[in-house]
Amino acid sequence: MLKSIKNSKKIDYKENLKLSNKIICSHCHLEFSKDVMIVDGSHYFCCNGCQGVFHLLSDEGLDSFYAKTGDVKLSPQTAQYEDSSNFNALAFYDKFVKINSDGFSEVSLIIEGIHCSACIWLNEKALDKMEGVVEANINFTNNKATITWADSVVKLSQIIDMIRAIGYNAYPYDASLQEVHANKERKDYYLKMSVAIFASMNIMWIAVAQYAGFFSGMEQGVKTILNIAEGILATPVLFYSGWVFFRGSYYGLKNRVVNMDLLVATGASLTYIYSIFITISGKGEAYFDSVSMIITFVLIGKFLEVISKKNAADTLDIIGKHLPSEVNVIQNEKIVSLKLEDVLVGDIIVVSSGEKVLLDGLIVQGEGSFDESNLTGESKAIYKSLGDKVVSGTISIDADIHFKATRDFEHSTLSNLVSLLETAINKKPKIEQLANKLSEHFSTTILSLSVLTFFVWWFWPHSFEESLMVGISVIVIACPCALGLATPVATLVGLNLGAKKGILFKEAAQLETMAKVDLLLVDKTGTLTVGKPQVIKEERFDGFNINMLYSLVKSSKHPISTGITNYLENSKESINEILFNEFSQIAARGIVAKYNDIEVIGGNKKLMNEHNIEHQYESDKSLFYVAIDKKIVAIYELSDSIKDGAKELVSSLSKINIETIMLTGDHKKSAQKVAKTIGIENIHYELSPEDKLTLVEEFQKEGKVIVMVGDGVNDILALGRADIGIVMGSGSDIAVDVSDVVLLNNSLHSLLAAFKISDTTFKLIKQNFAISLVYNAITIPLAMAGYVIPLVAALSMSFSSLLVVGNSMRIKYKINRK
Amino acid sequence: MDDWVIVMMLSGSLFLGGIALIAFMWGVKNGQFDDEEKYLNATKFDNVEDLQAAVEKEKKIEELKKKSYRPE
Repeated sequence: MLKSIKNSKKIDYKENLKLSNKIICSHCHLEFSKDVMIVDGSHYFCCNGCQGVFHLLSDEGLDSFYAKTGDVKLSPQTAQYEDSSNFNALAFYDKFVKINSDGFSEVSLIIEGIHCSACIWLNEKALDKMEGVVEANINFTNNKATITWADSVVKLSQIIDMIRAIGYNAYPYDASLQEVHANKERKDYYLKMSVAIFASMNIMWIAVAQYAGFFSGMEQGVKTILNIAEGILATPVLFYSGWVFFRGSYYGLKNRVVNMDLLVATGASLTYIYSIFITISGKGEAYFDSVSMIITFVLIGKFLEVISKKNAADTLDIIGKHLPSEVNVIQNEKIVSLKLEDVLVGDIIVVSSGEKVLLDGLIVQGEGSFDESNLTGESKAIYKSLGDKVVSGTISIDADIHFKATRDFEHSTLSNLVSLLETAINKKPKIEQLANKLSEHFSTTILSLSVLTFFVWWFWPHSFEESLMVGISVIVIACPCALGLATPVATLVGLNLGAKKGILFKEAAQLETMAKVDLLLVDKTGTLTVGKPQVIKEERFDGFNINMLYSLVKSSKHPISTGITNYLENSKESINEILFNEFSQIAARGIVAKYNDIEVIGGNKKLMNEHNIEHQYESDKSLFYVAIDKKIVAIYELSDSIKDGAKELVSSLSKINIETIMLTGDHKKSAQKVAKTIGIENIHYELSPEDKLTLVEEFQKEGKVIVMVGDGVNDILALGRADIGIVMGSGSDIAVDVSDVVLLNNSLHSLLAAFKISDTTFKLIKQNFAISLVYNAITIPLAMAGYVIPLVAALSMSFSSLLVVGNSMRIKYKINRK
Repeated sequence: MDDWVIVMMLSGSLFLGGIALIAFMWGVKNGQFDDEEKYLNATKFDNVEDLQAAVEKEKKIEELKKKSYRPE
């Protein structure tokens, strides 16, 4: 039945293809014109790769994959990969492959090219079908796979080959203990919470019966039965779910700190023991409901804190991805692959176009341009030839070179950058949380008050049971729930609100840190400015030809050319594109082209000087000259426009005493101009990534709490070191990874909103503490005087928690009103 | 109402609830809820072939365990 439905779907699909007269590749579902397609029976393919994968899947009996993908488009199978036998290297096994308890090998991979759930299905099925593969498990959320196999039957390289053969790629990552540990902790909390919630819910309905019986009268026998049932339910809550509190108080006492865990643990276990005593003696009221309620509420609060912590392990995995582990080295006139760590100073390394340079050295053969934007933020390509220095971390655009290593990997620029980054993340100063400080005093006070109450009642002739009950009621009513929920609920509401406005806080504690900030460091290009230069002034002279200029600038992707192209397109003049006979781009200069012996040159001052073209025009902005047959025919002045809301941001922040300082790698004149327009008084210009880091550290030494806002790789060191690093969502991957807050819509309005949200959240957290303290100040004396009946204790405990939760919800209204 | 009625009703309902809780905990421990998207998608792809494949996979793992077992 299922098969016939699948088949009918396929037929409809083919019918559609014929009707639309466009042909869709049978594997990747991308559309192409019919004459470029490979015809294979009733199927059409865009390339040999797709054809190969299609046949492989049919042979393996996995063709139901296509019914599962529906209309999802895949990437055509065209990529060329490095030799998979590298995966069998001993060094690779040492680093990434683990042996599990059953004696099978296990590796963690990140699978590239996954589009939909059908891709996951295909990968898992294809691997499961392989002889020797025990298990393949791929996580859809993060595309991370765990593969287990018997190494005596199949090798890892064969597994990788299979993944590649079906159109995906895989690279390993070190599933560091940290990540494994974080997942285990989360799972542990799930289990503990499910037990606690289950038991509490059941205890509550039994308690309702008991409360009703308290007023309307209940036989002692029924009461005992209900108490026993509650006792049975409360036992796993206290000893299984509540184990974290016992552990926490043990470690607290070991370090001579009275923490909230101790309060929860003593309160809950004393109440538990007392309730057992009541159940056996058959006199008074048992409080098993309080035991499970306290544990459950505070456990939920703790859990909210655990899940809002960011996973630092993920960050380092991504950086690892940017670092290939092998380079091609010439040894005995042959090219061999060596591990990065094994390359010695003096080795000759081969780099082809498009590859990343991984070591520092001097060029001994070849020439070409390099992209150094990773390190310097400079977006122009840099031309290098024999004898020039190449720096690790840069990318060869079109250069095929041989270079001599001058430093080993450990001391290379790239490796320095990575280790700087790791320390920057780890060295982040953590501001001690208000909750911990407060709860420490709170716990000590409550415990001593309870002991005091007990003794006073006992010596003021009362029975031991009665004194004990009053003493315990002090602990029970001094609800740690409200205190425990004060921070997590408010931060969760704050985080949620931020997410709705396109602000992603990676960790809850950052809201608090950000509320204490007194200095904002902000990058210029791409953060305060749009990063796309626009024409602000145009001058045309005799001989100007808009068709030639348009065709010239349109063929270049440089930001300046794009700016002029957009300007001309918006000018509403009629333009006819022409085709040049000759055309060449000169890096960092401009464009030279020829049209029927007419020479057209467009570019900067240097290019004009090189072609001996006269010009007399000066400006502090970027200039683009256009010359036809050695005569200037037009000049364009371009400037990068300032983002909407920049001025408002600076003035709003100065009102709440946050100083703004601009950092930029750009030259003085352009920095001053932007700063003046926005209203920033302090600027630091011509800075390297390391300079920015040093500045952040200097300000921190002065005791300032710093927010750094940036977007590029050249900001990552400063972003990592600052108390809060904020990155524009359009920023580079690494920058997004090291930062604490991401502004998804790149807007400066969101930046201001982030400040407002954190400020409001922090204020409400403080209010929550005030509420729970006032609550305690009223109820504790009542409890000490012995006026608290069980119903009131239970109700007031829940009421104070609700009050705190309700107060936290106010963040939304406060922000929307602002 | 006799006391034993309350005892029976309480223990009966708690027993059933307890079974559900244990089943849920087993699922969490087993990693069935680790990947929520996959968990939801599994219902879409659930069919006889996949059940068959799952059984064969179990068999295969058992065989491999026997094969690769090496006494120390």
